[in-house]
This record gives sequence, C-alpha cells and structure tokens, in this order.
Amino acid sequence: MLEIKDLHVAIGEKPILKGISLTIRPGEVHAIMGPNGSGKSTLAQVLAGREGYTVTAGTVTWQGQDLLSLAPEERAWAGLFLGFQYPLEIPGVANVQLLKEAVNSQRRRKGLPELDAFDFLERVKASIKLLEMDDAMLYRGVNEGFSGGEKKRNEILQMLMLEPRLAILDETDSGLDIDALKIVARGVNALRGPERAILLVTHYQRLLDHITPDHVHVLADGRILASGGRELALEVEAKGYGWLTEPSPPAPLPQAGEGRGEAGREARP
Amino acid sequence: MIPATWTDIPAPGGLPEARRAAMERYLAQGLPHTRQEDWHYTALDHLTRQPLHPPAAGDASPVIDEAPGHDHGSSASPAIDGGVSETKRMPGAAGPSQTRGEDAPPLQGGVTHLIFAGERLIETRSTLPTTLLRALEEGDLAAAPTLAPGTALSALNSALWKGGGCLTVPRGQRLERPVFLRFLAGEPEAMLHPRSLIRLEAGAEAVVVETYTGATAANYWCNPVTEVELEPGARLTHVRLIEEGAAATHTGLTAVRLAAESRYALLDLSLTGRVCRNELHLALTGVGAACRLDGLFLSDGRRHSDHHLRVEHAVPGTASRTTYRGVAAGRGLGIFDARVLIRPGADGTDARQDSRNLLLSPHAEIDAKPQLEIYADQVQASHGATVGRLSEEALFYLRTRGIDRIEARRLLLAAFAGEALGLVAEAGLDDWLMPRITARLNEIGESIQ
Repeated sequence: MLEIKDLHVAIGEKPILKGISLTIRPGEVHAIMGPNGSGKSTLAQVLAGREGYTVTAGTVTWQGQDLLSLAPEERAWAGLFLGFQYPLEIPGVANVQLLKEAVNSQRRRKGLPELDAFDFLERVKASIKLLEMDDAMLYRGVNEGFSGGEKKRNEILQMLMLEPRLAILDETDSGLDIDALKIVARGVNALRGPERAILLVTHYQRLLDHITPDHVHVLADGRILASGGRELALEVEAKGYGWLTEPSPPAPLPQAGEGRGEAGREARP
Repeated sequence: MIPATWTDIPAPGGLPEARRAAMERYLAQGLPHTRQEDWHYTALDHLTRQPLHPPAAGDASPVIDEAPGHDHGSSASPAIDGGVSETKRMPGAAGPSQTRGEDAPPLQGGVTHLIFAGERLIETRSTLPTTLLRALEEGDLAAAPTLAPGTALSALNSALWKGGGCLTVPRGQRLERPVFLRFLAGEPEAMLHPRSLIRLEAGAEAVVVETYTGATAANYWCNPVTEVELEPGARLTHVRLIEEGAAATHTGLTAVRLAAESRYALLDLSLTGRVCRNELHLALTGVGAACRLDGLFLSDGRRHSDHHLRVEHAVPGTASRTTYRGVAAGRGLGIFDARVLIRPGADGTDARQDSRNLLLSPHAEIDAKPQLEIYADQVQASHGATVGRLSEEALFYLRTRGIDRIEARRLLLAAFAGEALGLVAEAGLDDWLMPRITARLNEIGESIQ
C-alpha cells in the first residue's frame, strides 16, 4: 500500500534522507529504528506532508497515488495518520472539538453523514476507556497542560477515532513510563488488522516488546543500513547502533556508490 | 466646517450656554491630528474633505438585526419573565405606532431598548432607559454630566449631541435583562454625536449593550460619548459593539468612574467600519474598585481600528485586568495603545495588561503599546504584548488530522479571539453575539492565502 523508492530529502541544502526504499503492505507492522539525527523523524514528517523539506529524488506511492503531491489533509483523508513526537498544545480548541472536526471532515470526504453527537461520544468514550484517560481531558484545550504521557495517549486517541489505513507513530514511546507504554501499545494493537499497517519510528526497542513488528529497519545517516525481523531490534539493543554504523574491518563489503541502493540490505549476522 | 448654529437644537435651560462653551473648546483645539501623541496612529483628515452635516430628518438607516428578545414592537408580548413593558414607535419611524402598557410597570420587564437612527429616537421599549434629552428636560438630571475628559471630540459631542440614552438603576436594583442602546446610521456625510449616560446607584447591577451599526456605503461620522458612573458596590457589564458601515468613521469615547467596591466589565468589540477609534478613560476612584477590560478588534481590507485606553488607579486596593486580542489581514491596521497610571498613594494596586495580536498578511499592521506609569508602592503590575502569526505548526498538526487549511485556520482564529470573549457568555449574549463575531472571523480567515 505504501511504496517508498529511493527517497532523497533535504532541508535547504543539507541532505537528510539519502535514498530510502521501503515497501509496506496491508496488515504489516514496520519499525524504523535509528540513532538521533539519523533522519527517521524527517521520514515521518515528509510522509505526513510537512512543509520545509525538499524532496530531491525518489517517489512515494500510496495506494497507487503519488503521495508527495497531496496536501497534509488530503493524505489524512486518504487514510494516513501521523502520531507526533511532540504533540502541539492548542489552547482554546477543545480536544473533543478537534476529534469531532477531524472525524466528520473525513466522513464528509467519503460521502458519509456526519456522526451524530451520541454516536460520536459513544465511540470516544470507548477509546478513552481503552487508553485509561480521564473524560475531563476531552473538554480541555488540545494537549493544553497535558503531561508528556497524556499527550502521547491523546495522539493514540485521535488515531483510534480516525481509524487510519497507515499509522505512522513518531517516537510515540519517548518519555513514557512502563505503564503508559503498555497502554499506548494496547491502543496501537487495537488498530492492527489485515487492512491496516503501522510504521513505528523509535529510538529504543522496548516499544517493540509490546507491539511486535513484522519488519525492522535500521536507519542511520539518512540510509537504511539493515532490514530484518524482530531479532534485528534485539540485536540493536544488545550492541547499540555502533556495530552497524562503524566500518566493519572483517569481510570487506563493496562500497555502495553515492550511498544509494543500500536499502533493503539484510542485517549482517 | 462646523457652524456653531448647529447648537440651536431643542434643549433644556442652561444647555445652550453649555453647548456654546463646549463648541468654543472644540474650536480652540480643532480636529485631532497625527502630530498629537494621543492621535499618532489615527488620521481624521478625510473628515475635513467631506461636507459633513447634521443628520436629515429622513431615515436612511439600515434595518438592524434582532437583539435578544427584540421583536420590533410586534404585538407578541416579550415573553420574558412575565414582565410588563411598553413599546413605542416614534412618529416617522417605519411600522405601525403602538403603545402597550399596564398599570404600575415594574422597573424593567423583558428586554429594554432604545433605538436611534441618525440620532433620532425611532423605537423605545419600557420606561427604562430614557433619552438623555428627556432626562434633562424632565429634571431627572440636573445638568449634562461632565465625566468625559475635555478632548476636542468630546467637546464637539457636548456641543452638538441630540440622541442618546440615559439609564439610571436605583440603589440595590438588579436588572434581569440587558439594556440595549442601539445607534443606526445610513445617511452619507451625516455627522452623529450621540451621548449616553449610565448611572448605577449603590449596589445596583446591570448589563448594558451599546451597538453602532451603519449602512455599508455611507461615509458618515459617528462621534459618540458615553459616560458611566458606578456608585459604591455597583456592578456593570458593558458591551460596545462596533459594526459601522464599511465607509464610516467612528470616534467613540467612553468615560467611566468607579466608586469603592464597584465592578466594571467592558467588552469592546470592533468588527467593521472604515476608521474606528475607541477611547476609554476609566478612573478607579474608590477603594476596592475593580475593572475588567476585554476587547477584540478585527481589521481587514483597509480597516483601521484604534483602541486607546487610559486607566487610572487613584486610590489603594484597586485592580484592573486588560485583555485585548487583535487580528489584522489585508492592509488592515490595528492599534492597542493602553496606559495604566498608578497614582501616588494608590498602594496595593493590581494592574495587568495583556495584548496579543495576529497578523494574517504581509501588509497588515498592528501596533501594540502597553504602558505602565507607577507612582505608588507595593504595586503588582504587569503588561505584555505580542504580535505574531498563526502558528504553522498548529496548522500542520490540524491538517494531519484531516482538517483542511481553511477549517484549521478557522479553529485557530476562533480559539485566539475566544481568549477575549469570556464576557459574551457571562452576559448571556452567546446566541446573539457569537454568530456575528464568528462570521467576521471566518470572512477574514477565508480571505487570506
């Protein structure tokens, strides 16, 4: 459903992503891991349509459509969701108001009638319960005065309400204690299904203890250095990122020209 | 441009002389100009190029909306708390004249309002309030009040005023419903100087809504003066809604004096009108008096909205809270120029000023100038002013949730403006006021790129 081909992205003159290729199929959960500055958040932002990035090469196809030509809201209508690493506080816009606007604007685009107040509230309350949130948070300004953990849970609440085809979660695990992490994982797992896919962007593998990925990719310096299964994440945790990013003395490898064409390379044993 | 003979209007004894004196004060000063510090941002030169004249007898005023409970004198009783009211259509006003009344009308039944068109009273309901002219003629008021500072424009108003309301709320009385003073204009080049007086005796409470509404194309000038006197313990919520015509000039002045333990809450809404200047002179003269000054101005197109506030803490233990929000788009200009003066001896004063402003286009301008002058001790005072843009981050966040750019902007604008609109709900005016504010915000939101 999502096909990223040789994606190059720069901020100004500075290249950040240097040839990413990645295919996500319905039902799959992918995890992108990488050290700070590897470009993993940039990838998430570019997929969601943030301005300020220049795509210098490559394509992103979403269900047969050129994703990069779509405005952020059009991507949302097409079923994409980005869970922010730093969710914004928007005082004066009540949380429930945002949820309602978001759900209904999506329904309007699909030619569906808007949810009536009762059905809407019923759905919100069910998700709120799943995420062990307080009802009162619905009526506060969006993320206004929320703790870090509350903000992340609120992102998951929005995700559950919007029921995206592909959810990209950008470091949703950062700043969460173990209980909150479990709750967030519960929310994400609730969304899993054969029609949907999830892309987890994370620094640590501990989130993957609770959301088992089908594919793990390690990103460093704008390139995917290794792809593999769940075991790759454990290996990263055990050895750190160093063993992948440092030049490895034994077994000389052919240098990838201009840093391209590395995507999809399997992890070295 | 302003012949002194205009002062020869029907007036009770003593007034003509006062009018002549006021006219002399005006003539000595002349129209304000931008070389004066207080008028730095607002030029009135265009007025000198217009053949201004007093309003003609004919009524060119626009039809206005229904204020809450405002039924334009229909035969249906204002079905509010069973009160008795009296509706009078003045001669010459559109619609059938009719009078309704019963014995011993209570202080206020249902909605009360006065409607003036071109300074002429065209409709009144209830015996409360009356017009200022009538209050003087009937001796309810010894003399025209003089709370307003002696500015050139207030002097001109003193010389020329005809229409305007006079509301006195007796001691300890609380009005159940808002009182509306509505001023309509529609005649090109008419010069209007309505003058109103609001007096709340000790412990009295009221909500007063002044509206200034005009026909779109008419380049009239409205120069109202409203004086507010609050006796000890009185509480007034005062809404001033400026919806002047798109070619109109409005130079309003509100003078307020607060006695001990009185409360004054102002909602200053400047929505339309080509050049608008709202001047507020407020004095906290009694211990424990407090005011809350909220305002919202929206300047798009070539609109100019100047808010000039002068707050004086004269005695100990007084408080003022000022919260203004401004939005400018197109080539609109907004000005928040507020000075809080804390006089010697006004110890323990608590004064806060908060002005936040949004620029929605590269050619829009907002000048925010909060000032504090402190001559007392143990004062808590702060002021803050910001001029910024809509947060691209917040817009992006909302758009990733499937809320399109226009809708996202609408949400953020409403949230921003809402910070200064708490009094709308508190005064029970939600249903009537919010739609018109929201409509203007949406208009501005949709007009920008």
